[in-house]
Amino acid sequence: MLSIRDLVFRYPHSERPALAGVSFDIQRGEVLGLLGPNGAGKTTLIAHLSGALPVQQGEITLDGEPLATVRRKDPTRIAIAPQEYAFYPMLTVHENLACFAAAARLSGARKQQRIEASLAFAQLERYARTRAAHLSGGLKRRLNLAIALLPEPEMVLLDEPTVGVDPQSRAFLLDAVRTLAQYGTTLLYTSHYMEEIEAIAKHVVIIDDGKVLSAGTLDDLLREETPQVRLSVDALSPEGVQPLLARFGRVESVGTEWLVKLLAGETPARLLSAIEAAGGKVRHASFGRGNLEQLFMMLTHRSLRD
Amino acid sequence: MLLALMKKELLALSRDLHGLAALFLMPTLFIIIMSLALKEVYNPPVKSISYVVEDRDGTELSHALLSQWQERHGKPQEQSSDWRQQLRNGSLGYALIIEPGFTLALFEQNLAEQGIQLRLLTDPGMESGAFAATRAELLMVASGLRGRALFSSAPTTQQVSGDTTDLSAEKLIEAERLSAGTHPTSVQQNVPAWLVFGMFFVVASIAGLFVEERQCGALARLATLGVSTRMLILSKALPYLGINAIQSALMLAVGVWLIPLLGGEALSLAGVHWGALLLVLLAVSLAAIGLALTLASVVRTQTQAAAVGPIINVVMAAIGGVMVPKFVMPDFMQRIAELSPMNWGLEGVLAVLLRGGELVEVWRPAAKLGGFALLMFITAALLFRRREL
Repeated sequence: MLSIRDLVFRYPHSERPALAGVSFDIQRGEVLGLLGPNGAGKTTLIAHLSGALPVQQGEITLDGEPLATVRRKDPTRIAIAPQEYAFYPMLTVHENLACFAAAARLSGARKQQRIEASLAFAQLERYARTRAAHLSGGLKRRLNLAIALLPEPEMVLLDEPTVGVDPQSRAFLLDAVRTLAQYGTTLLYTSHYMEEIEAIAKHVVIIDDGKVLSAGTLDDLLREETPQVRLSVDALSPEGVQPLLARFGRVESVGTEWLVKLLAGETPARLLSAIEAAGGKVRHASFGRGNLEQLFMMLTHRSLRD
Repeated sequence: MLLALMKKELLALSRDLHGLAALFLMPTLFIIIMSLALKEVYNPPVKSISYVVEDRDGTELSHALLSQWQERHGKPQEQSSDWRQQLRNGSLGYALIIEPGFTLALFEQNLAEQGIQLRLLTDPGMESGAFAATRAELLMVASGLRGRALFSSAPTTQQVSGDTTDLSAEKLIEAERLSAGTHPTSVQQNVPAWLVFGMFFVVASIAGLFVEERQCGALARLATLGVSTRMLILSKALPYLGINAIQSALMLAVGVWLIPLLGGEALSLAGVHWGALLLVLLAVSLAAIGLALTLASVVRTQTQAAAVGPIINVVMAAIGGVMVPKFVMPDFMQRIAELSPMNWGLEGVLAVLLRGGELVEVWRPAAKLGGFALLMFITAALLFRRREL
């Protein structure tokens, strides 16, 4: 188990700490989604876990042993697939893998076997002799992941691994993450795409301003205290819909949708019937479970960060 | 639209400090360095090249010659017993030797059998232009003395005629570079200069690649895999040592084989002390790689690396005697030249290729380069670790 306790980090000449007492755990084989707006402290946290930043205050342990000690003994137990394409564009896919495999102290038959396994996992065999600079965005992301998997790490840190890729590559990467989790690899996954986190993570940590705002299983976080219906309605003007919905609960406008927090005793079925009776057409409706994006926006107060 | 696009161009340029430095600072530096370095070439100084005299004739005319020479070139240095060694190692520019029969020969109508009476022995590394000018000046002074001697001794002017008497003292004069088995040619002097200059050009390559690695995150990834700073630095230094070795071999080969094919004189490696040459080249290579790694740890972008690397190289070359030979520089510029690692390398290679130097002659420049390389490697490692935070 990886445990982070009261982690504080302040960059030189910075007034505010980038991390201000972060604590949470990641169990072995778990997929944890790490969410936070830009500048929340995600990259600083990942830099700590990958060993790029030293612990100033607080503690990070892996199976009860300080992370620094673990990394000294075996720096490849935790691997990172960083946000940027962290490989050599002038080298071919195979040459990149060979370089990083050697850096991870793999040699001989084992090195060859891991290169082939990583190529196969990322489905990059066809591109083994292609220079990395000539790969598409999706293929570059796959190479980034393949390099991270070379030393068969216990834990992989995936920092926004689907930025700038097409839907097919995104689906492939998400499947790859699920497969890794099935084989027992612990994954820490950061993304700005909430649906990705909802699709793959069982546990979620939301951070902002260097603090943990919310942490727990996805189900717990999205479980609604008050039943609410999210819907969009055609054939009625907004002025007509709003008072109609207000009879069933507190109404919020969210983009082109409406969010209705139902009053005690009201049900989604009665709400939908009332809309249809008034001549409205329900284009889309969901209820019973909150939405990670809503939760995220609520916790981080929607204000722009950059 | 044109104005807006022009404004964009100027704004972009004004925010590229290194590009601006290349545009404004480099030419300014060049004007300063070259003007100071060449100051005495276009405004000949009384003292430009150090020399000693050995007057074995000891007559009024030999004193007259030395007196005229002193007026033009300043006082000679005190003659020491090892002036030949000083010439060989370049710490002395030239020696004037007046043989015992000089005065008698000046009075002879026919010079064919008088032998050499006036010798100019120069530093093997003396640049061809300076060598030719010094020789011509000596010939002029000696011929003037001969003319005076002939006219003063002749009863009538009719007896001294240019048609029957050789007025020029050319047959009495011999000028040579004091070489150690190697015949000094322009290729013999140019190869060391451009070899050292070329070796230092790895600075731009190393720094550029290093910045690219850092920017794309590959370097950080290597660090997360537990690759130490020492290993990273070593993995860069060793290949470039090899590249510098190939560069050296190639440039020497060009001098030895290609230049003769193009009609020039071949570079001679006869009698070269290979151990001394390898030691100097290794020291130059380490210094260049160390400088490159430090630069790579300081600059932040490819643009900076691409601008700053060549600027440092060209300025070091201009200061260090690669573009302008050190001995034609005024004294204070020569002192500055001695601060340039490129000059240490150049002096070392010249000592081997031109002066037949052995290990004992090159240990000093090699040690300076080695010390500089060590300092640069340590600085690079410290800066690199600091950057990681």
